[in-house]
Amino acid sequence: MIKLQNVSFHYKNTDAFGKQQRTRGVDELSLIIQKGEFVVLAGDSGCGKTTVTRLINGLVPHYYEGELTGSATVCGLDVASSGIGDLSPHVGSVFQNPRSQFFNVDTTSELAFASENLCVEPKEIHRSIRRVAEEMKLENLMDRSIFALSGGEKQKIACASVAVAEPEIMVLDEPSSNLDEAGVEELRRVLALWKNKGRTIVVAEHRLYYLADLADRLILLKDGRIAEAFDASAVAAMTEADTASRGLRALRKVPLTEPGQQSGRPDEDALICRDFDFHYKHSENGIYFAEKQFRRGAVTAIVGHNGAGKSTFARVLCGLEKRAKGTVQFDGRDWPVKKRPALCYMIMQDVNHQLFTDSVLEEVMLSMPVTIPEAHRREQALTVLDKLDLLPLKDIHPMALSGGQKQRVAIASGVVSENPILLFDEPTSGLDLKHMRQVADLFRLLKEEGRTVLVITHDTELVHEIADGVVSFS
Amino acid sequence: MDKKLNTKDLINIGIFTALYFAIVFIVAFIGYIPILMVIMPALCALIGGIPFMLFLTRTKKFGMITIMGALLALLTFLLGRPWLSILFGVCAGLLADLYMKSSDYLSIKKAPMSCAVFSLWIVGMALPMYFGYRDAYMESLRPSYGDAYVEALTGLTPGWTFWALIVTIFVAGLLGGFLGTRILKKHFVKAGMA
Amino acid sequence: MKFFQYGNEGYKSILDPRTKLLLLIVINVVIIGTGFTGTDYVLRVICAVIPFVLFLMIRRFRTALLYALVCGFMLLAERFLFPSTHGVLNLIIVITLGPFSRILVGYAFAYYMMCSTTVSEFVTAMKRMRVPDAISIPLSVMFRFFPTLAEENRAIRDAMRLRGIRLTGKNGGLLRQIEYEVVPLMMSTLRIGDELSAASLTKGLNAGRPRTHICHVKMEIWDWALVLLSLGFLFYMLVLR
Repeated sequence: MIKLQNVSFHYKNTDAFGKQQRTRGVDELSLIIQKGEFVVLAGDSGCGKTTVTRLINGLVPHYYEGELTGSATVCGLDVASSGIGDLSPHVGSVFQNPRSQFFNVDTTSELAFASENLCVEPKEIHRSIRRVAEEMKLENLMDRSIFALSGGEKQKIACASVAVAEPEIMVLDEPSSNLDEAGVEELRRVLALWKNKGRTIVVAEHRLYYLADLADRLILLKDGRIAEAFDASAVAAMTEADTASRGLRALRKVPLTEPGQQSGRPDEDALICRDFDFHYKHSENGIYFAEKQFRRGAVTAIVGHNGAGKSTFARVLCGLEKRAKGTVQFDGRDWPVKKRPALCYMIMQDVNHQLFTDSVLEEVMLSMPVTIPEAHRREQALTVLDKLDLLPLKDIHPMALSGGQKQRVAIASGVVSENPILLFDEPTSGLDLKHMRQVADLFRLLKEEGRTVLVITHDTELVHEIADGVVSFS
Repeated sequence: MDKKLNTKDLINIGIFTALYFAIVFIVAFIGYIPILMVIMPALCALIGGIPFMLFLTRTKKFGMITIMGALLALLTFLLGRPWLSILFGVCAGLLADLYMKSSDYLSIKKAPMSCAVFSLWIVGMALPMYFGYRDAYMESLRPSYGDAYVEALTGLTPGWTFWALIVTIFVAGLLGGFLGTRILKKHFVKAGMA
Repeated sequence: MKFFQYGNEGYKSILDPRTKLLLLIVINVVIIGTGFTGTDYVLRVICAVIPFVLFLMIRRFRTALLYALVCGFMLLAERFLFPSTHGVLNLIIVITLGPFSRILVGYAFAYYMMCSTTVSEFVTAMKRMRVPDAISIPLSVMFRFFPTLAEENRAIRDAMRLRGIRLTGKNGGLLRQIEYEVVPLMMSTLRIGDELSAASLTKGLNAGRPRTHICHVKMEIWDWALVLLSLGFLFYMLVLR
């Protein structure tokens, strides 16, 4: 079905100084995937697993330009000489970001889109949509605006839109990155369905627990080459130590432990939120609770399924919702809505939104009040950058950094702003084990600094690793 | 390289036209504050230069700028501008396109000038004030809007202001182009995205 | 930017996109070209009522009510306030209200179009009108992209508020503010645009190749009635006046 023989690919791009450079995608990689096989590609970020998925759907070398050597054939078509359009009837692709993979604004049109492009008869398309909707239980998602869907629902629609055109091969590139546990479970069910129907499935993924029972083969990539391959029985036999030593996420679901259950005794020092009541206009989403406490100087994980109000809580706590009711007590005083930006700083899930300036140093200094003299600000910023291992990067443009580095810059600007509380929204979504551990180390550092850290997360491995307490929303 | 516009180019046109339109639309809306109305077209051209210069980094083929101009004019036409504005959009886009083509879309030096030419599509928006219908237009306003308004408007917009408008927009477009170049250098080149 | 929010949850409009397009053009021609007396004014009122009725039909009751209030006030002002005031007072009223009364109805109708038409309906209608791919693909991408821009912009503004960057704030200068807001927006545009192109290509979108449409786009009796009405208006505007 899929045959890669000695394939090397280097991306062409420009570096921060406008110089042309080549970045390795894959290096002398050979891989044969049989019809009906379920293959999971794993490995660190940048190991080449995304490039493999792109070689299958033709985005490499036809969309992402670069140098390709070796031979890649998919369904008997030579990838290098046939266009993406020739491959698209055979290969369906699901991507990581639910915001950017839809061409349409409503769900039904998106489901029909791929078939329409293949000139399938409208009647036939309607029939396929009904079939897929029934199989995947999408009835309540039909004819909806895509912008009104949750991340999990979007990803379900992305899978369904691929399934309607019935390609033989499905490739998925980190499909679970933005999903909560329930969303991952839905995704697993869809994949199981496809596997039973005999589709060939290739998934590049960090989160492995939901794929462990489905995979016929787990392939570990390293530096653009295949480092190790495991068949289904080998996967089943892998222990926690086996995965950890290879830098892989857990193969089995890590249960949500609640370390050191907090007692009901009021804690004078804690961050206390009382009588929160807030609802968005024209929406059922919102929060309502009588009291929640978060220990000072500790890392508290905030968990709960999508729509439970975690993000809303974060927005209220940071003072982004002006109409929010409720009191916030910390450090022996009340924090009205207007003052809250000085209390709590949020590092958003998409940190790209909170980077504004043209160098890391500027970025950090932007957070400090101009009343402090510039020399002093610079000095303080440098100290913080040093602490976060960002000093060598101080003159680089924040957007030229890797995802993890961007996150650290955002953290650094939170740290200098001297907010006592730092709130993280899904800091480890889409991260491999190594980078997840780095985030955990950062939390330890912040704790030593005396900051209070709140983490909204679905990542039970992270909770297990670092959280001092868990507060759940429902 | 293939000279025909492919799907990727067309999607890029759509995305950048949306961005450009949204930004200019917001500026124009602020411009509805009556005092600012006179400088509104220039302000649009100036700020519009920023997304336009970014768009130029993605154009390597003839036709992309023309289509963008046509789309922008089409939208403003649908929002109540005279149909002549479509002509302005297409022409301004075409000229800017031809100018960039003369250097095969490679010259960074030519880009601000192309931006200035392109911003002339905005002239189409101010058309009903001039060009033959000026007097008829003013008269049509008189019974409903009253003498005072018509006098004020006529006073504010004598015939030569049409040419002044073109020049202002052109200069603002040029400045917008330089502003855009500066922002491109400061952010996008440095971030390895342009 | 709420203007471009697509919120059609289940209530499809009964009109063909082509009818809507024609109506929009005619409404603009009438509203911009007519005065505030006699037959002219009657036409204005008819045009102003159209969006109101259509909002009700897609069950946008709040929008309809708001529109009715503002538009009613504008119409009354045009009829009674503009001619009955003089001098400086007239100038102030006309300068502040005039431009709005000229765009309100057209914008309301454009808004109705946005929330009652799906992108695929638009594309289908454009295909029927033989609009080439070079126009129809960018146009449909634009409509799809406006809500995304609004989402991104909201996130960036939130981030600015978290950082205490404000328009009249400490971090000086309007130009600086524009830079802080526009640059991240452009960065997001580049990223999302790239991903969107990639996803569309893998789904087989190919300019210049024929494709089918599942959308049901057909001129019904209502459409023809409105087309006739529009043509009548055009006839009045271009010939009778």
